[in-house]
Amino acid sequence: MGWIRDIFRRHRLYDDLAEEMRLHIEERTEQLMREGMNRREAKLAARRAFGNQTVIEERSREVWQWATLESIWADVRYALRQLKNSPVFAITVILSLTLGLGANTTIFTFVNALLLRPPAVVDGGRLVEVVTHNAKASGIESYTNLSYPLYVDLRDHNRSLSGFAAFDGDPRTVSWSHGGEGEIVYGQLVSSNFFSVLGVEPALGRFFQPDEDKGGAGAPTVVISNLFWQRQLGGDRAVLGRVLILNGASYTVIGVTPKSFTGVIIGTRHDFWTTLAMTPTLIHDRDRLGSDTSSWLFGVGRLRPGVSKNEAQADLTVLTRTAHSSNPNAAVMDASAFPLQIMPGPLRGYVAAFTGLLMAAVGLVLLIACANAANLVLARATTRRRELAVRSALGASRFRIIRQTLTESLMLSMMGGAGGLLVAYWSIPALMSLKPATIPVSIEAPLDWRVFAFAFVASLLSGITFGVMPALRSARRDLIPALKDERQLAGPRRSRLRGSLVVAQITVCLVLLISAGLCVRSLINARSIDPGFSTHNIAVAHLDPGSLGYTEAQDRQFYQQLLERVRALPGVKSASLSDYLPLGTSRSVHGVQIDGANPAPGQKDIPIQEASVAPDFFNTMGIPVLNGREFSIQDVQPNSGKVIINQAMATHYWPGRNPIGQHFKDGKQTVEIVGLVKTGKYRSLSEDPIDFMYLPLGPQSQEFLVVRTGTGEEATLGEIRRVIQGLDPNVVPIEMESISQYMTLPLFAAHTTGVLLALFGLVALLLATIGLSGVVSYSVSQRTNEIGVRMALGADRLDVVRLILKQGMRLTGVGILIGLVLSFATTRVLAGLLYGIKADDPLTFASVALFLGAVAFISCYVPARRAASLDPMKSLRAE
Amino acid sequence: MTETTPRDLFPGALEMMILESLRRQPAHGYALVQHIQQRSNNLLQVEEGSLYPALQRLLKANLVKAEWGVSATNRRVRTYQITAAGLRRLEEQISSFERMFEGIALVLNPGKSTAN
Repeated sequence: MGWIRDIFRRHRLYDDLAEEMRLHIEERTEQLMREGMNRREAKLAARRAFGNQTVIEERSREVWQWATLESIWADVRYALRQLKNSPVFAITVILSLTLGLGANTTIFTFVNALLLRPPAVVDGGRLVEVVTHNAKASGIESYTNLSYPLYVDLRDHNRSLSGFAAFDGDPRTVSWSHGGEGEIVYGQLVSSNFFSVLGVEPALGRFFQPDEDKGGAGAPTVVISNLFWQRQLGGDRAVLGRVLILNGASYTVIGVTPKSFTGVIIGTRHDFWTTLAMTPTLIHDRDRLGSDTSSWLFGVGRLRPGVSKNEAQADLTVLTRTAHSSNPNAAVMDASAFPLQIMPGPLRGYVAAFTGLLMAAVGLVLLIACANAANLVLARATTRRRELAVRSALGASRFRIIRQTLTESLMLSMMGGAGGLLVAYWSIPALMSLKPATIPVSIEAPLDWRVFAFAFVASLLSGITFGVMPALRSARRDLIPALKDERQLAGPRRSRLRGSLVVAQITVCLVLLISAGLCVRSLINARSIDPGFSTHNIAVAHLDPGSLGYTEAQDRQFYQQLLERVRALPGVKSASLSDYLPLGTSRSVHGVQIDGANPAPGQKDIPIQEASVAPDFFNTMGIPVLNGREFSIQDVQPNSGKVIINQAMATHYWPGRNPIGQHFKDGKQTVEIVGLVKTGKYRSLSEDPIDFMYLPLGPQSQEFLVVRTGTGEEATLGEIRRVIQGLDPNVVPIEMESISQYMTLPLFAAHTTGVLLALFGLVALLLATIGLSGVVSYSVSQRTNEIGVRMALGADRLDVVRLILKQGMRLTGVGILIGLVLSFATTRVLAGLLYGIKADDPLTFASVALFLGAVAFISCYVPARRAASLDPMKSLRAE
Repeated sequence: MTETTPRDLFPGALEMMILESLRRQPAHGYALVQHIQQRSNNLLQVEEGSLYPALQRLLKANLVKAEWGVSATNRRVRTYQITAAGLRRLEEQISSFERMFEGIALVLNPGKSTAN
């Protein structure tokens, strides 16, 4: 451990050394004086003979040091001192980089959250996610989940997996009754071997036994999540054996998951898990387990040792094809195996494309930030010419100077990276709030080690990117003119380099701003689309008393009383029920037969999308009835045979005729058209008109209550909640929101892209402005002398302003031209995201270019004015 | 600075000469320079630039030790003394140097020892 002692002894050692060397020179001086020199000569001669004291001392000290590490530390300390001496420079660079690196770190945190974080399972590399795939189709629609019979078939007959589990892809909204009230919780149906295949161990109690899947074996059981246990059940260890009433049935708690386990699919929050055998009890769907057409399960298998993912996929494909061959009408399906990650395999490509686009945008912002930093460091290198020249005259080698300058750049970029992490830390919650609160997904985006590693590497690369060129330049110079403080003529090479950095900044900035402009205009377009119903003053509640085991009669009574009481509320103008809301996630299609209309070849019926609604629905939703009437109370009696169609369907099948009173066949029943309503948007805002029909709403358990209100929606929502509680405190609305909150979902993707790109565009603009005005100010300071001469020779202030502006605007002009060309090439990528605007929209291109030009003009004008206000005498004396 | 000798004669030569000088008698830095210069009849001029780093290396390796004291001429000096380890190292170096020198001599003057 000698080196530890060395570190403490070192200061004494250094003092001894310095003293010893001083005495050495003194002795030599005295010797020379004895030989006849005078004191001054002798001193000089002794010094000369000794050589470069500093270098000798440094080399002698190095003997004691942990050489490289300590000299790097010395460089770092020196760099910090330098930066402290020029705080404006340091802060400008660090802020630029903080913005650039912050944007990158933030977006990367989301990439990490969505695509990189592995699920908390044991040896996840050997787990595969299994769905089926239609080789003849393409895109996301070509993937289908497994039906329960198919899952059982694959589980029992595969030879490639040591265990094969299944889980329900949708989180189930479940009403948990406790203390006389209901509370919405989320549950997942899983096969009994789910946890053992994943290799997860319970934090408390046990997980499911194999026979718990068979059903009927004792009381139903649940495993609860650690978070649910801590938050809702107080973390009580006596929770095992406790009975929870979920959707009206009793479940015994048998185990608690470990804290780290949050499920295997992103975004779904699970409060509890129960076995697939409980499907009929939990979600009131008796046919689901037996049906081979409802595909609702994800398979997750653990590969046997020595079996690859592709071998497993081939094995499962054979089984899948055999299973499907019994049904000649079904499409040929293959099995598709993906490595198990939190983002389901089929979605991964889309998410990667979307986040990739955002990464590209922030990458551009970072480039601009680096160009800024490079420019500032170059400018500073010029002002530090003398200091560097003195250092090399004192014996610093070229390498030492390059290392020193680069250390400074890296210090700056690391501080920028730390700032970037702070930016990410603060901006992630803000970005999360862009997600509509009503979507029941929770995305965890922690700043984990991957994010830190990314921030570190990005900072390092940025530091090297902007630091290398100035570092090489700082070491390549003539010492003598620098030491003599000759004003270096602003060499054309240097100004050309700095100029091209600014041109690059303007170019990249324009590309970003044009992309942002396109997305923002597309968002404005999307917002102004008429969805065909009113988007104000409507309150919506999604209810499912059937989950509490209500009978049909109870359902009917519940909804009838609900409507009566809600209609009596102050401020409520009308209220109605339906089983569907336009632009929602569910979709139902009926096959109809219309006289004179031919179905598609090979089909018996014409598929028409439908919804069932109660009386007063159109009035409440603000959907105009163009002809005929709404449903009456009589129409909603069973088999009334009435239908209301939309304008698109009318024009399609009864062109030029009055559709009211016409008949057609809906399945086996003949129905009469009693009303015609305006065509709206049903699946997405950007769709073309769709044929749509409304049927009278029969009694069913899951319904949407829609309420038109004259007062505020918020107040009405509270009133409605009280009415529901008054009817049955255990009924909890699955969702309750205003129609404008509801509309955030269809606009979510466009909204997020628009907001983010606009934000990045503004950051880019800010950075480019700083860069441009920095370069112009610098050139003003370099040309003070020239300006003085010009003014002395009769140039007036306007001439000077023009001179400086010309330089800045020439750079801007070149940048904008290149940027326009590049934008034509790059905005094509955005085409799929844009609504109602072309990717090469000339108006956006022109206005963004003009805008950037104007901002650039202002940022050049300020330093130009300063140049013009110089006193010519003073600037000449500055020589 | 015209009479500069090559900084390193060969690796370890300076250390060897310092140790040899110190074996004869302890000395401070200035005296070492004078001593080596005189002993070599002014053929070798030790550069301070090499001497002090070399002394630090020897100190660190515990081959010499240093002490502040007062010289014969009544100057405050830091006197270096060879240690037991230093003596051993010197013996090793001298013998290996002699073998090397013998080898070089053979290569340079082959006629003297081999009748070829």
